[in-house]
Amino acid sequence: MSEGLPVDALSLRDEVMAKYRDVAVNPHGAYHFHTGRPLARRLGYPEAVVARMPESAIEAFAGVGNPFSLGAAMPGERIVDLGSGGGFDCFVAAEQAGAEGQVVGVDMTDEMLQRARSAATAMGLGNVEFRAGLIEDLPVETGWADVVISNGVINLCADKRRVFDEIMRVLRPGGRLQFADIATGKAVPEAAIRNIDLWTD
Amino acid sequence: MLEESGFIDIAIGPPVDTFGGAGGESKARLFEVYGYAFLAHKP
Repeated sequence: MSEGLPVDALSLRDEVMAKYRDVAVNPHGAYHFHTGRPLARRLGYPEAVVARMPESAIEAFAGVGNPFSLGAAMPGERIVDLGSGGGFDCFVAAEQAGAEGQVVGVDMTDEMLQRARSAATAMGLGNVEFRAGLIEDLPVETGWADVVISNGVINLCADKRRVFDEIMRVLRPGGRLQFADIATGKAVPEAAIRNIDLWTD
Repeated sequence: MLEESGFIDIAIGPPVDTFGGAGGESKARLFEVYGYAFLAHKP
Protein backbone atom coordinates (compact mmCIF):
# COMPACT_ATOMS: atom_id res chain seq x y z
CA MET A 1 0.00 0.00 0.00
CA SER A 2 1.28 3.48 -0.84
CA GLU A 3 1.92 5.30 2.41
CA GLY A 4 -0.93 7.64 3.36
CA LEU A 5 -2.97 6.87 0.23
CA PRO A 6 -6.31 5.06 0.13
CA VAL A 7 -5.14 2.48 -2.42
CA ASP A 8 -1.85 1.29 -3.80
CA ALA A 9 -0.89 3.86 -6.42
CA LEU A 10 0.90 1.41 -8.71
CA SER A 11 -1.89 -1.15 -8.64
CA LEU A 12 -4.45 1.52 -9.42
CA ARG A 13 -2.27 2.80 -12.26
CA ASP A 14 -2.11 -0.70 -13.75
CA GLU A 15 -5.90 -1.03 -13.57
CA VAL A 16 -6.44 2.35 -15.18
CA MET A 17 -3.92 1.61 -17.91
CA ALA A 18 -5.63 -1.69 -18.72
CA LYS A 19 -9.06 -0.03 -18.85
CA TYR A 20 -7.99 2.75 -21.20
CA ARG A 21 -5.91 0.44 -23.33
CA ASP A 22 -9.20 -1.36 -24.00
CA VAL A 23 -10.89 1.92 -24.88
CA ALA A 24 -8.06 2.84 -27.27
CA VAL A 25 -8.24 -0.49 -29.06
CA ASN A 26 -12.01 -0.90 -28.93
CA PRO A 27 -13.60 2.52 -28.44
CA HIS A 28 -17.08 1.25 -29.28
CA GLY A 29 -17.00 -1.50 -26.66
CA ALA A 30 -19.31 -1.72 -23.66
CA TYR A 31 -17.97 0.30 -20.72
CA HIS A 32 -19.48 1.76 -17.57
CA PHE A 33 -19.11 5.19 -19.18
CA HIS A 34 -20.17 6.67 -22.50
CA THR A 35 -17.55 7.29 -25.19
CA GLY A 36 -17.03 9.18 -28.41
CA ARG A 37 -19.19 11.70 -30.22
CA PRO A 38 -22.41 10.94 -28.26
CA LEU A 39 -20.53 11.57 -25.03
CA ALA A 40 -19.10 14.87 -26.27
CA ARG A 41 -22.61 16.01 -27.15
CA ARG A 42 -23.90 14.86 -23.77
CA LEU A 43 -21.20 16.86 -21.98
CA GLY A 44 -22.11 20.06 -23.77
CA TYR A 45 -19.31 20.57 -26.28
CA PRO A 46 -20.52 22.90 -29.04
CA GLU A 47 -22.23 20.98 -31.83
CA ALA A 48 -20.04 22.61 -34.45
CA VAL A 49 -16.91 21.31 -32.70
CA VAL A 50 -18.32 17.83 -32.27
CA ALA A 51 -19.67 17.58 -35.79
CA ARG A 52 -16.49 18.52 -37.60
CA MET A 53 -14.16 16.32 -35.56
CA PRO A 54 -12.99 13.26 -37.55
CA GLU A 55 -14.16 9.97 -36.09
CA SER A 56 -10.60 8.87 -35.38
CA ALA A 57 -10.11 11.98 -33.23
CA ILE A 58 -13.22 11.58 -31.10
CA GLU A 59 -14.27 7.92 -30.95
CA ALA A 60 -12.05 7.09 -27.95
CA PHE A 61 -13.06 10.22 -26.04
CA ALA A 62 -13.99 9.22 -22.48
CA GLY A 63 -14.19 12.48 -20.54
CA VAL A 64 -16.62 13.32 -17.76
CA GLY A 65 -17.28 17.01 -18.44
CA ASN A 66 -16.19 19.91 -20.61
CA PRO A 67 -13.02 21.64 -19.34
CA PHE A 68 -13.67 24.51 -21.77
CA SER A 69 -17.11 25.27 -20.35
CA LEU A 70 -15.61 27.84 -17.96
CA GLY A 71 -13.51 29.45 -20.68
CA ALA A 72 -11.79 28.68 -23.95
CA ALA A 73 -8.06 28.71 -24.58
CA MET A 74 -6.84 31.97 -26.06
CA PRO A 75 -4.93 32.35 -29.34
CA GLY A 76 -1.23 31.72 -28.87
CA GLU A 77 -1.54 30.00 -25.49
CA ARG A 78 0.52 26.98 -24.45
CA ILE A 79 -1.66 24.19 -23.12
CA VAL A 80 -0.93 20.89 -21.39
CA ASP A 81 -3.57 18.14 -21.26
CA LEU A 82 -3.17 15.65 -18.42
CA GLY A 83 -4.20 12.17 -19.51
CA SER A 84 -4.86 13.19 -23.08
CA GLY A 85 -6.18 9.78 -24.18
CA GLY A 86 -7.31 9.76 -27.80
CA GLY A 87 -6.55 13.48 -28.07
CA PHE A 88 -10.01 15.01 -28.42
CA ASP A 89 -9.54 17.79 -25.87
CA CYS A 90 -6.09 18.53 -27.31
CA PHE A 91 -7.63 18.97 -30.74
CA VAL A 92 -10.28 21.30 -29.33
CA ALA A 93 -7.59 23.29 -27.52
CA ALA A 94 -5.41 23.39 -30.64
CA GLU A 95 -8.23 24.93 -32.61
CA GLN A 96 -8.82 27.55 -29.91
CA ALA A 97 -5.11 28.39 -29.49
CA GLY A 98 -4.52 28.59 -33.23
CA ALA A 99 -1.32 28.08 -35.18
CA GLU A 100 0.67 30.28 -32.78
CA GLY A 101 -0.41 28.18 -29.82
CA GLN A 102 1.05 24.89 -28.68
CA VAL A 103 -0.65 21.88 -27.11
CA VAL A 104 1.09 19.03 -25.32
CA GLY A 105 -0.91 15.95 -24.42
CA VAL A 106 0.53 13.63 -21.77
CA ASP A 107 -0.65 10.05 -21.39
CA MET A 108 0.73 6.84 -19.92
CA THR A 109 -1.01 4.44 -22.29
CA ASP A 110 0.91 3.59 -25.44
CA GLU A 111 -2.22 2.62 -27.35
CA MET A 112 -3.83 5.99 -26.61
CA LEU A 113 -0.66 7.88 -27.58
CA GLN A 114 -0.51 5.99 -30.85
CA ARG A 115 -4.16 6.74 -31.56
CA ALA A 116 -3.82 10.44 -30.71
CA ARG A 117 -0.67 10.90 -32.80
CA SER A 118 -2.28 9.22 -35.80
CA ALA A 119 -5.33 11.45 -35.53
CA ALA A 120 -3.20 14.59 -35.23
CA THR A 121 -1.26 13.61 -38.33
CA ALA A 122 -4.45 12.88 -40.24
CA MET A 123 -5.82 16.29 -39.23
CA GLY A 124 -2.62 18.03 -40.27
CA LEU A 125 -2.17 19.64 -36.86
CA GLY A 126 1.31 21.04 -36.40
CA ASN A 127 0.70 22.61 -33.00
CA VAL A 128 -0.07 19.43 -31.05
CA GLU A 129 2.29 16.81 -29.72
CA PHE A 130 1.75 13.83 -27.46
CA ARG A 131 4.28 12.76 -24.84
CA ALA A 132 4.46 9.55 -22.83
CA GLY A 133 4.44 10.18 -19.11
CA LEU A 134 2.66 10.25 -15.79
CA ILE A 135 0.62 13.19 -14.63
CA GLU A 136 2.31 12.90 -11.23
CA ASP A 137 5.64 13.56 -12.95
CA LEU A 138 4.91 15.62 -16.05
CA PRO A 139 7.40 15.65 -18.92
CA VAL A 140 6.94 19.41 -19.23
CA GLU A 141 9.30 22.27 -18.42
CA THR A 142 8.67 24.27 -15.25
CA GLY A 143 6.53 27.36 -15.93
CA TRP A 144 5.93 26.44 -19.57
CA ALA A 145 2.12 26.30 -19.64
CA ASP A 146 -0.44 29.07 -19.79
CA VAL A 147 -3.21 26.54 -19.26
CA VAL A 148 -3.45 23.01 -17.91
CA ILE A 149 -6.52 21.01 -18.83
CA SER A 150 -7.67 17.52 -17.90
CA ASN A 151 -10.85 15.52 -18.23
CA GLY A 152 -11.82 12.64 -15.98
CA VAL A 153 -8.27 11.70 -15.15
CA ILE A 154 -7.25 13.25 -11.83
CA ASN A 155 -9.89 11.21 -10.00
CA LEU A 156 -8.09 8.09 -11.19
CA CYS A 157 -4.85 9.02 -9.43
CA ALA A 158 -4.30 7.90 -5.86
CA ASP A 159 -2.07 10.86 -4.97
CA LYS A 160 -4.08 13.89 -6.07
CA ARG A 161 -2.06 16.33 -3.98
CA ARG A 162 1.03 15.34 -5.94
CA VAL A 163 -0.84 15.89 -9.21
CA PHE A 164 -1.96 19.40 -8.19
CA ASP A 165 1.55 20.27 -7.03
CA GLU A 166 2.89 19.13 -10.40
CA ILE A 167 0.29 21.21 -12.23
CA MET A 168 1.38 24.20 -10.17
CA ARG A 169 4.98 23.56 -11.23
CA VAL A 170 4.32 23.52 -14.98
CA LEU A 171 2.00 26.55 -14.99
CA ARG A 172 3.47 30.00 -15.44
CA PRO A 173 2.61 32.56 -12.75
CA GLY A 174 -0.93 33.72 -13.52
CA GLY A 175 -1.62 30.57 -15.51
CA ARG A 176 -4.81 28.60 -15.02
CA LEU A 177 -6.03 25.10 -14.48
CA GLN A 178 -9.33 24.16 -16.07
CA PHE A 179 -10.35 20.59 -15.73
CA ALA A 180 -13.40 18.39 -15.61
CA ASP A 181 -13.78 15.56 -13.17
CA ILE A 182 -16.33 13.63 -11.16
CA ALA A 183 -17.33 14.35 -7.60
CA THR A 184 -19.68 12.58 -5.22
CA GLY A 185 -22.61 14.18 -3.47
CA LYS A 186 -22.69 11.49 -0.79
CA ALA A 187 -19.92 10.19 1.43
CA VAL A 188 -18.32 7.04 0.04
CA PRO A 189 -17.72 4.31 2.65
CA GLU A 190 -14.10 3.70 3.58
CA ALA A 191 -14.27 0.11 2.32
CA ALA A 192 -15.40 1.32 -1.10
CA ILE A 193 -12.65 3.94 -1.25
CA ARG A 194 -10.10 1.20 -0.65
CA ASN A 195 -11.57 -1.07 -3.37
CA ILE A 196 -9.54 -0.42 -6.52
CA ASP A 197 -12.16 -2.12 -8.72
CA LEU A 198 -14.65 0.61 -7.79
CA TRP A 199 -12.21 3.28 -8.98
CA THR A 200 -12.28 1.96 -12.52
CA ASP A 201 -15.66 0.17 -12.89
CA MET B 1 -6.90 20.34 -2.05
CA LEU B 2 -6.61 22.94 -4.84
CA GLU B 3 -6.18 25.63 -2.19
CA GLU B 4 -3.66 23.49 -0.33
CA SER B 5 -1.58 23.41 -3.52
CA GLY B 6 -1.73 27.20 -3.77
CA PHE B 7 -4.45 27.77 -6.35
CA ILE B 8 -6.68 30.83 -6.04
CA ASP B 9 -9.90 32.15 -7.59
CA ILE B 10 -11.45 28.70 -7.79
CA ALA B 11 -14.74 28.28 -9.65
CA ILE B 12 -16.91 25.21 -10.17
CA GLY B 13 -19.42 24.76 -12.97
CA PRO B 14 -22.84 23.11 -12.80
CA PRO B 15 -23.17 19.32 -12.54
CA VAL B 16 -23.37 17.21 -15.68
CA ASP B 17 -25.09 13.83 -15.71
CA THR B 18 -22.01 12.08 -17.05
CA PHE B 19 -23.16 8.50 -16.46
CA GLY B 20 -26.87 8.76 -17.27
CA GLY B 21 -27.85 5.84 -19.51
CA ALA B 22 -24.42 4.25 -19.24
CA GLY B 23 -23.50 0.98 -17.56
CA GLY B 24 -22.22 2.82 -14.53
CA GLU B 25 -25.39 4.80 -13.95
CA SER B 26 -26.64 2.79 -10.96
CA LYS B 27 -23.37 3.18 -9.05
CA ALA B 28 -23.24 6.84 -9.98
CA ARG B 29 -26.75 7.39 -8.64
CA LEU B 30 -25.86 5.57 -5.41
CA PHE B 31 -23.21 8.15 -4.54
CA GLU B 32 -24.65 11.09 -6.51
CA VAL B 33 -21.71 11.16 -8.91
CA TYR B 34 -21.72 13.94 -11.49
CA GLY B 35 -19.16 15.60 -13.68
CA TYR B 36 -18.05 19.15 -12.95
CA ALA B 37 -15.79 21.69 -14.60
CA PHE B 38 -13.27 23.40 -12.34
CA LEU B 39 -11.29 26.59 -12.90
CA ALA B 40 -8.37 27.66 -10.70
CA HIS B 41 -5.47 30.07 -11.08
CA LYS B 42 -1.81 30.06 -10.12
CA PRO B 43 -0.99 33.33 -8.31
